Amino acid sequence: MAARNPTDKTLGESLRERGVSRRGFLKFCAATASMMALPPSMAPAIAAALEQAKRPSVIWLSFQECTGCTESLTRSHAPTLEDLILDVISLDYHHTLQAAAGDAAEHAREQAMAANPGEYLVIVDGSIPGPDSNPGYSTVAGHSNYAMLMETVENAAAVIAVGTCATFGGLPGANPNPTGAMSVMDLVKDKPVINVSGCPPIPMVITGVIAHYLTFGRLPELDAYNRPMAFFGQSIHDRCYRRPFYDKGLFAKTFDDEGARLGWCLYELGCKGPTTYNACATMRWNDGTSWPVEAGHPCLGCSEPRFWDAGGFYNTVSVPTSASGVNVLAAGAAGAIVGGAVAALAKKQTKTAVAHRQPVTVEELEAKL
Amino acid sequence: MSELTLEQGRAQSQDAPKASELTLERGLAAFRAEVDGPVAAFFSSCVHCGICAQACPFYLETGDPKYTPILKLEPLRRVWENDFTLWGKIKGLFGLNHKVTDAMLAEWEELLYDSCSMCGRCSMVCPVGNDLALMIRKSREGMVQAGHAPEGLIAASVRAIQTGSPMGLQWKTLAVQINHVETSSGLKVPVDQPGAEYLVLLSSMEIINFPEYLEAITKIFDHAGVTWTLSTECFEATNAGIQIGNKDIAAQLVERVVAAAETLKVPKVISPECGHAFTAIRWEGPNLIGRPYPFKVFHIIEVLDELRASGRLKTEGMETDRLSMHDPCNLARKSGVIQQQRNLMGLVAENFVELKEHGKFQWCCGAGGGVSSNERAEPLKMAAFKRKKAQIEEVSPERMVTMCATCRTQLEEGLEEFNMEIPVVGLTEMIAEHLVEKN
Ligand code: SF4
Ligand code: SF4
Ligand code: SF4
Ligand code: SF4
Repeated sequence: MAARNPTDKTLGESLRERGVSRRGFLKFCAATASMMALPPSMAPAIAAALEQAKRPSVIWLSFQECTGCTESLTRSHAPTLEDLILDVISLDYHHTLQAAAGDAAEHAREQAMAANPGEYLVIVDGSIPGPDSNPGYSTVAGHSNYAMLMETVENAAAVIAVGTCATFGGLPGANPNPTGAMSVMDLVKDKPVINVSGCPPIPMVITGVIAHYLTFGRLPELDAYNRPMAFFGQSIHDRCYRRPFYDKGLFAKTFDDEGARLGWCLYELGCKGPTTYNACATMRWNDGTSWPVEAGHPCLGCSEPRFWDAGGFYNTVSVPTSASGVNVLAAGAAGAIVGGAVAALAKKQTKTAVAHRQPVTVEELEAKL
Repeated sequence: MSELTLEQGRAQSQDAPKASELTLERGLAAFRAEVDGPVAAFFSSCVHCGICAQACPFYLETGDPKYTPILKLEPLRRVWENDFTLWGKIKGLFGLNHKVTDAMLAEWEELLYDSCSMCGRCSMVCPVGNDLALMIRKSREGMVQAGHAPEGLIAASVRAIQTGSPMGLQWKTLAVQINHVETSSGLKVPVDQPGAEYLVLLSSMEIINFPEYLEAITKIFDHAGVTWTLSTECFEATNAGIQIGNKDIAAQLVERVVAAAETLKVPKVISPECGHAFTAIRWEGPNLIGRPYPFKVFHIIEVLDELRASGRLKTEGMETDRLSMHDPCNLARKSGVIQQQRNLMGLVAENFVELKEHGKFQWCCGAGGGVSSNERAEPLKMAAFKRKKAQIEEVSPERMVTMCATCRTQLEEGLEEFNMEIPVVGLTEMIAEHLVEKN
């Protein structure tokens, strides 16, 4: 795609030109408000702000990644990629999506940077071989990823790191990390960096963050890992519809046993829901169709730091990570044994115990004084 | 007994006169009754990282590893391992399991009661999401039934049931306070008014130590045109049953509040300015009595912030002192009431400085969870307070503000103990002092 001049039109104009109805637009604003846990009364304010907003220039850089994050984004439904991303923002440069190639493509990036100094957003997917790595590990148009990132962010308003590779190093950064891969926040220290983690991230979270930025002119509230609280504020486990089974101690033991068929909790099959912060359980995937735990698979914890090094997918959370020292290793071995035995939680026993519980009277207490 | 079926055996033991003694057997049975899915999952998922210790003021300020939160749960953990896990049963066959004995419970009494304020900071930091404070609460159920609760808490529970107040206060004491308030404010304190919007509950601590609280709400509600009432049937909502860890006593105390609110047909109930009272009545209550309330429960801070937001709270003048604030654990960390008190501070304080860790990360004052009703725990309570003291020193405020009578008492005592001349004020009282005069 050729570079457009983002100062041309407001979003409202541009959307209407594309045939997006006012109603459709308001619906999107209401969805955005609820996504970001804002009161519904905010929807008109969002609409008003977005209508007037200029399409910000966005430069999308892809480094060491699998293109899963872009795939995820192009499968976003509400709003669709076309309606929102290509129109609401002015996507001036995107390795994967742009039609231009070679020189023309690189010029598009330079032009966007020169036209909007201090105002453009940089979105990054993929991790970056650090400054001490061989620059040849990953290059685009002859520039090392590191050089390109640093040059591009220099005059950016903010950087959005998309996907676990860009936010925490991800698969390229996994042990033994041959390319010395680093995350965006490891490298960019003097610009706001917002992390939308996930392998891949939820598409509506990406659009939600952009909409928030356009509406309020600032980035949303972030957690300790720079992730937007509105989406990463609660664990998968807090919002999991299998939670009542967890609370009752009803765990599927294999993927095809009676418990699995009855929809019991997947904790013992390795579910990382209790330690994973993401919005899957509430927003779900594929236009709200389903999400991994609903499809019968434990959460892998893809949106957390050290995702690939944090132990086996099918080990229960009691089995700790392998890489943080001898003590934890030893504890892990013990944890695995005990973890195996949690299966034996005798529900009948608890029930009997509860049924036979003897109430305490104040006289009994008084006798103790 | 070998010829009897299990059913017959059970029937027989039910016919036998009820043991009216708190024994180890009863304690173990109560521990077993508390082992549920979360408890099993928590114990099996602990990775022994010790991070919970770093969150606990009792461990940090004493440096004694026995105060590590997860260790405090050892009796419950053993019951779980021995009776509920395959591994424990195998160990049992070989006589290798560690039984819970009366001596062990006697030793753990200090760990479960004196060195834990159930502040929930450890629960918040555990990397695998173990709710340690919940398990302390559950363990105390077993401790009470085994006869290993501290005397101070037993006495408070007995008084709460017998007189309606853990400190043994009676309505006539409150009536005297009401009289004072009416004389000094010229306003009427409504009592037993059916159909009022709010039923206001107090804690004995407020009635005795901080009578200015009652005067403050009398003035504020008059100013904002809010209808409210006290109830002679039930004026106290602190819950000694929760603190000692017994659901039977706790449920009886909750029932009293429900009965009073039902008699007066109030749609809203205001908890005392006591953190534990608030979580007891707001969160545990309906579960304890097994049915939903016909009313809603609020902390006074939530009510005041609503009045502020709707423009019914008109204030004038500002405190110019450098003020800082202590967030009560039960209000901020456990109930999410964090922004409200800051909104209210914004109304009346122009020089407000946050403690470094505040809101849901704040440090416990050290007195909650029954620690303050347990005389024996006094030295530990003061030790834990050193965390708060260090925080306060960091920002050196001229006064501290808080909104829980127990925290406030602890702050006052602690600051005095360490010769720090920093007065402590209640937020509600401070708001009342700034109300715009009616003409
Ligand atoms: S399936 Fe996973 S997220 Fe859901 S309740 Fe079980 S452990 Fe928690
Ligand atoms: S369910 Fe877990 S592993 Fe799956 S996408 Fe969501 S956070 Fe990632
Ligand atoms: S913080 Fe959690 S996992 Fe670590 S020792 Fe404490 S209870 Fe166990
Ligand atoms: S609840 Fe608070 S006082 Fe109790 S063990 Fe945890 S951190 Fe310590």
